[in-house]
Amino acid sequence: MISKVLIANRGEIALRIIAACREAGLATVAVHSEADRDSLHVKMADQAICIGPAYASASYLNITSVIAAAEISGADAVHPGYGFLAENAHFAEVVGECGLTWIGPPPEAIRLMGDKATARRTVAERGVPVLPGSPEPLGSREQAVQVAESIGFPVILKATAGGGGKGMRVAANARELRAAFDTARHEAERAFGLGDVYLEKYLTAPRHIEVQVMADGQGRTVAFGERECSIQRRHQKLVEEAPSPAVNEELRKEMCDAAVAAAKAVNYVSAGTVEFLFDDGKFYFMEMNTRIQVEHPVTEAVTGTDLLLEQLRIAAGMPLSVRGRPKLTGHAIEFRINAEDPVTFAPSPGTITELYFPVGPGVRIDTHLYHGYRVPPHYDSLLAKVVVFGRDRREAIQRGRRALSMFRIGGVKTAIPLHLRILDEPDFIEGRLSTRFMDRFATRE
Amino acid sequence: MFTFEELCQLIRVVSETGVAGVEVERDGSRVRVDGVPPAPQAVAAAPPLLSPQMFAAAQLPAPMAGIPAAPATAAPAADSDEGLHFVTSPIVGTFYRAPNPEAEPYVKIGDLVHKGQVLCIVEAMKLMNEIEADASGTIVRMYPENAQAVEFGERLFAIKPS
Repeated sequence: MISKVLIANRGEIALRIIAACREAGLATVAVHSEADRDSLHVKMADQAICIGPAYASASYLNITSVIAAAEISGADAVHPGYGFLAENAHFAEVVGECGLTWIGPPPEAIRLMGDKATARRTVAERGVPVLPGSPEPLGSREQAVQVAESIGFPVILKATAGGGGKGMRVAANARELRAAFDTARHEAERAFGLGDVYLEKYLTAPRHIEVQVMADGQGRTVAFGERECSIQRRHQKLVEEAPSPAVNEELRKEMCDAAVAAAKAVNYVSAGTVEFLFDDGKFYFMEMNTRIQVEHPVTEAVTGTDLLLEQLRIAAGMPLSVRGRPKLTGHAIEFRINAEDPVTFAPSPGTITELYFPVGPGVRIDTHLYHGYRVPPHYDSLLAKVVVFGRDRREAIQRGRRALSMFRIGGVKTAIPLHLRILDEPDFIEGRLSTRFMDRFATRE
Repeated sequence: MFTFEELCQLIRVVSETGVAGVEVERDGSRVRVDGVPPAPQAVAAAPPLLSPQMFAAAQLPAPMAGIPAAPATAAPAADSDEGLHFVTSPIVGTFYRAPNPEAEPYVKIGDLVHKGQVLCIVEAMKLMNEIEADASGTIVRMYPENAQAVEFGERLFAIKPS
């Protein structure tokens, strides 16, 4: 059993976790940096502890301080949210060793999925489709060229320790590949301390479609349908929706079965997401995110499930509340409202001088904003998530326009105008999406 | 029924002893005499040491500094912070005055300390972090109790620099 949850995070997700704990009757402990003293998660939690200075490496990423805060507050469980320490297998291990309950997947599953080349090999062994590529890290430049020629250009080099686009290079031919090989290795070495790279067939304009899974460690591993997350800028998702306009029931079953197989391959427990690239009617495993994700609310909307509450149930040793894959109802779209210039995309910290929320049916706002809040420059620029729900995609889009146009945030620049422009794009309205969708905005400026 | 004499006696007992009140019942009649509630000043002395109000008082501008501190409250906390150097906790954890429960505390109020001298321990994840003085002078205040939890940046000691 668990009774008091320490939330090792900040911002909107910390609030979301507090909300779930409150519903579950669990006490909450917020941890915060000096820059977040006036943050909403600090005000809303039952208890708050300052764990370090503004910079995250000394506060939100400092394992010793987070654990010490759990010890002095008497918390018996830790929820990592997303980002920060959420996918740090070592942290998950330490939490367990300290006698605390980790509200997340087993450290071993985090580790296996964290190494991209291992993850790819592990799921492929279970019959999950992967892009053609090198099964092992590449030994030399010439080996890379050899593999690339056998699968056909273009190819993409990726760091096995991967993430955030670092150590990634696209090559259209052998000459480009030879040139990119050393750079990618060097970049990976610098970013992750490990220079291993592998390569895969590069899809020029795929869709990004992912499947939400939940496993209770008691025999139930359930897929909660897919999310379309193709609208991205620099590998950062901007708009997510469920279901995907490109997926029919038959394909959905196939993708969900593949996601469940991937999760089972690493004895997964808790919430996770299996990401696929989708091109020309086929899907390929990309990676598994071993955490609750930013875009989980669209899945909650179309499945009628509270995924955070399910996570808490699982951590407390209870089974999942659903037996099989839930039926999807209606359509949900999430818009990430970042504090940034909608044209230049430059971050825009500052004080919130005006704040009005949209009203009406089918709108959910997850946010840590309040009037007078000072958005610190130190962290992620996500201010709020606007999640709209309608009977179908058309109604969801209509409600999205209404909600975004009524949402007023003064004092900082936000992505709201950009989202309104996306909603007016014929390709968006028709559901013709790919990871290149945002290119049009970059070239127009 | 109670006689007038008896009622006077009851009132005298309540006012002289300072009890909160007395209630007497006899042959179906009941009488109650309540004591006078304590004076407001006495209530003001009740807040625990180092309550948030006390910190607020310590930060009041100079003219207020002349008001004598209530006897029950810790006199040093009411003094101004002016000219003092504060040693704050560089880590969240548990504050210990001594290296082990049997040992003497590292420092006491009034001790002269030099820069670099160990003042206390803050334990985090079973790691004993020795906290050193970052200024030389006299220890004039110690904020946490032994074995108390401290946050990052919380005041541990005040040193009057020499």
